[in-house]
Amino acid sequence: MRSWHLILVLAVVGLLTLFYKGLWGDPRSIPTVLIGTEAPIFSGPEVRTGETISLNKFQGKVVLINFWASWCLECRTEHENLLALNRHFSQNPDFVMLGINYQDQVEDARKYLQENGSNFDHIRDLKGAISIDYGVYGVPETFVIDRKGIIRYKSIGPIVGPNYVHITDDILQPLLEGKPVSRS
Amino acid sequence: MKKFLVICIVSLAMPFLSSPNLAKATTVEEEDIDLQVRDIAKTLRCTICQNESIWESQAELAHQMRDLIKAKLLQGETPQQIRAYFLSRYGDYILLMPRKTGLNWLLWAGPFVLLGGGGIFLYITISRWVAQAQAAKKDPPAPIDDRVRKRIEAEFHSRED
Repeated sequence: MRSWHLILVLAVVGLLTLFYKGLWGDPRSIPTVLIGTEAPIFSGPEVRTGETISLNKFQGKVVLINFWASWCLECRTEHENLLALNRHFSQNPDFVMLGINYQDQVEDARKYLQENGSNFDHIRDLKGAISIDYGVYGVPETFVIDRKGIIRYKSIGPIVGPNYVHITDDILQPLLEGKPVSRS
Repeated sequence: MKKFLVICIVSLAMPFLSSPNLAKATTVEEEDIDLQVRDIAKTLRCTICQNESIWESQAELAHQMRDLIKAKLLQGETPQQIRAYFLSRYGDYILLMPRKTGLNWLLWAGPFVLLGGGGIFLYITISRWVAQAQAAKKDPPAPIDDRVRKRIEAEFHSRED
């Protein structure tokens, strides 16, 4: 086989692979473009109290934002871990956790929190504007914002197993100690 | 006195405010905005669907994205600014038509390069076949030596028997 035959075959295979990946790949596995950018400011009513909460209120703190919904099964699997995570860091005054309720009915969201318990505030994303601002594909998704208001981490899927250890040990702990974290 | 003047102005303006022309103008403006929403939405991918634009998709997220586009247009943002906003949130994936930059050129030019390459490959191969066939026609067949001729005749006769 001549060398240009080989090049042609490789080009066809390469292009077909690209098309295949583009057509059938999971968009959630695409790295976010938001890491290292300023976190969009948002505000909205708290799910249970209706009190307006704004991200601005937490300037200078490390903020963990978790997007969830009552209809999301994966959110249920991570819920206990989120509560444990908040308990773990709640002694640190520079740590804040916020839930963003995504495409949900408020009654369902309240019922979910009542049944599963919660130790942090949850904001209703009324028109999906917060989710779109954060480039959310689905739930659960978790973001970590550093003290300067820069998005440092995004996790897709439930915070369980190695993901839980990674977010506590490699992301939150260093950020609270003022150390840099690796890009995720 | 001021109150009286305001009432007079409002009363005089009422027929104009509720005139069919104004209603028509508002409708035309709304239609124009809706057309712009459609044009923008058709270029953006529904991020939770497979190869569907947010204009075609019935997903809740697509609905919310369309509403956001409309809100941004009403705020005076241009279609370019709105597309840039979605690009800044979701990256290249949100664009149904990839940008003509960097590696994306491979996607744009790839099919044409392959088509051209394939065409050249076919042309060369077919030309070679034609040339070989023509050469075979021109050249007389090689003479058969006696040994082969005798064998053919023997086999021919044996079949006849």
